Amino acid sequence: MISKNLIRSLAILFIAVIEILHSARAGELNVVWMGWPEEYVAPLMKGFQSANPDVQLKIERIPFVQIMQTLEVRLSARESTPDIFMCDGSLTSSYAARGHALDLSSVIDRNRLTPSAASQASFDGKIYSAPFGSSSQQLYYNKDLFKAAGIEPPSADPSKRWTWEKVVEVARKLRDPKNNVYGLVIAQADRPFQLLPLGQSKGGVPISPDGLKATGYIDTKPFIDAFTFYQKMYNEWDIAPKGLFQINLNEELFRTGKAAMFIGGTFNMEEIAKYPKLNWGMGLHPYFEGGKPVTPTGAWHFCVNPRSKDLVSARKFVQYFMSEDVHSKWLQMRPYPPVLNQIWTKEKTYFDRNPGWALVRHELSNTAVPRPPIVGWREYEAILLQAIQDINNGVDVSKRLSVAAQLIDREMVKYK
Amino acid sequence: MKIHTSTVFLFLFPAMLGLAVFRLAPVLIAIVGGFFSQTIRGDTIFVGMLNYTNLFSDDGFWNSLKVTILFNAILNPIQIFLAFILAMLVLKPSPGISVLRTTYVLPMTVAASITATIWNILLNPTLGPVNGILREIGIGTQPFFTSENQALASFIAIATWKGTGYWMLFLLAGLIVIPKDVYEAAAIDGATGWKRFMWITFPLMKRPLLYVLVADTAINFLFFTPVYVISNGGPNGSTSVLMFEAYQAAFVYLDHGRSLAISTIVLLIVMSIAALQFRLMRINKAI
Repeated sequence: MISKNLIRSLAILFIAVIEILHSARAGELNVVWMGWPEEYVAPLMKGFQSANPDVQLKIERIPFVQIMQTLEVRLSARESTPDIFMCDGSLTSSYAARGHALDLSSVIDRNRLTPSAASQASFDGKIYSAPFGSSSQQLYYNKDLFKAAGIEPPSADPSKRWTWEKVVEVARKLRDPKNNVYGLVIAQADRPFQLLPLGQSKGGVPISPDGLKATGYIDTKPFIDAFTFYQKMYNEWDIAPKGLFQINLNEELFRTGKAAMFIGGTFNMEEIAKYPKLNWGMGLHPYFEGGKPVTPTGAWHFCVNPRSKDLVSARKFVQYFMSEDVHSKWLQMRPYPPVLNQIWTKEKTYFDRNPGWALVRHELSNTAVPRPPIVGWREYEAILLQAIQDINNGVDVSKRLSVAAQLIDREMVKYK
Repeated sequence: MKIHTSTVFLFLFPAMLGLAVFRLAPVLIAIVGGFFSQTIRGDTIFVGMLNYTNLFSDDGFWNSLKVTILFNAILNPIQIFLAFILAMLVLKPSPGISVLRTTYVLPMTVAASITATIWNILLNPTLGPVNGILREIGIGTQPFFTSENQALASFIAIATWKGTGYWMLFLLAGLIVIPKDVYEAAAIDGATGWKRFMWITFPLMKRPLLYVLVADTAINFLFFTPVYVISNGGPNGSTSVLMFEAYQAAFVYLDHGRSLAISTIVLLIVMSIAALQFRLMRINKAI
């Protein structure tokens, strides 16, 4: 016969085991990092471990298309893990407002940061995320396709920047349906990060200054015209692959010679080198005729969970990963534009090796506009992304943006 | 041998614990949680019926309800009908029958997320091989998931592909246990194939059919993964089923109260439909 005491003891043991497995230990940091290749992540993490042998790192790398959603699930549980997590810089305000990010003002000197990085890392005048790399977007082109068609490729001279109208005109000439060659592919074909600059180029403002109202902003003429133009690229003019939103597939189309032009980030400068058959060049991000050049910027930051059980180790992690040495190494591995001012000077030799960096620096200094640092960026981006996908599929642009604006306004109410 | 209650309890405990933790607890959390809301700092406040009144005044919710009911109204009869046909086809032992049975059942062994990813590639309007074949045979390319008119039908097709074999197994099991002498007696009485089906097979299959009907309805009302992986509820809300709406509410709009309210509504709908199905398929105790 099984005694009641035995059952009671087993139940207590069961609960104790769950607690032990569940609890984080001091001297151990659970880190959620972007799903970059292992060879980009491991050396930096090992470097931290060597410098801090008393701290154990448990690292999870999550792919780009899943990391934001995964973090929402984990953070809304409001537990002590993850201790450190990667975040899209524009989500800093959202995480800070919701109590998911620790104030790092005592650990990070904002004067070391580039202005746009400092802006994205801030909420309410304090630093809540550690910038790890910025971004810029360029117009890459296939030299062989341009040469075969006898067309002059895009210029790297800022005074001769192509307009979107010119890009479309050339893309229509270079489109070759028989050989499945597109005139243009856009890396992040449905993301506000990539596409807000189209409307901003026409003078559009994506949201109210207080970040709480989208009606009267995202649904106004500049964005309606810009997204109508965008829709035509995928439908009426058929220069870009409709319904293709996966970044890696869009990149692959260009790298395998199936697209004459490609709008993508700076890290493509290194990735394209793995495709020796591709003869490529780089020009400047287009703008609308009569408008102003606007380019996307901002990238990955990381935050510290204020509920972490080891804030001492977490601060050590921040200090290590914000060191010049680590940022220099990171630049060599994955060429995101640096967020520390000093790196631009320290790595001059690296930048001088590739003339493309001169274009990047020009854009960052003159045309880069960070995404609005609003507390409701998570909702804003997700709602607008769905609208952009629908617009890509051919729905009425004005009506769809109007619906998106109303949905955004509804969701911003909780932040008032 | 005397059976001690505590021993019985100990053996049942793991299963009961699993039932309580993974079935009953989430249902209770959903029902109770629908009456609460969370501030952006995570504080929970009682809001009464506010989540429900907000839902009932939201066009997006009514659209999701319409899409979900339409999806189930078309998918469930197709799946069960095809499952029944397949079960009858593979009932009689014959050379190669085990290969056929395995083929029909294989799709259910593929995880839902993998299924969605594969079909997303196959039916991609730009790069997908299906459109390549359609173009070559003269039908022309189709938009599939990128069309408001075709997206839901495309999901019905892949759900049918994935689920039919699974339900076939249950119906096959039901067909196998029907006594052969009942058919023999009917044949002696001159009953034709159709009459044997209507008066013997169908009545004796009521229990397995009822199980399949209720379970299929419950599972299909929870359809979510392919929408999340492939269409994001679009184009233009044409595939925004209720569970996707619940997911969005929780993890995009950060409104857990709304999400739990939607989950509770789904539960009530499924329970109502199941009760109706039980009533319509009233089983005679003599069977």
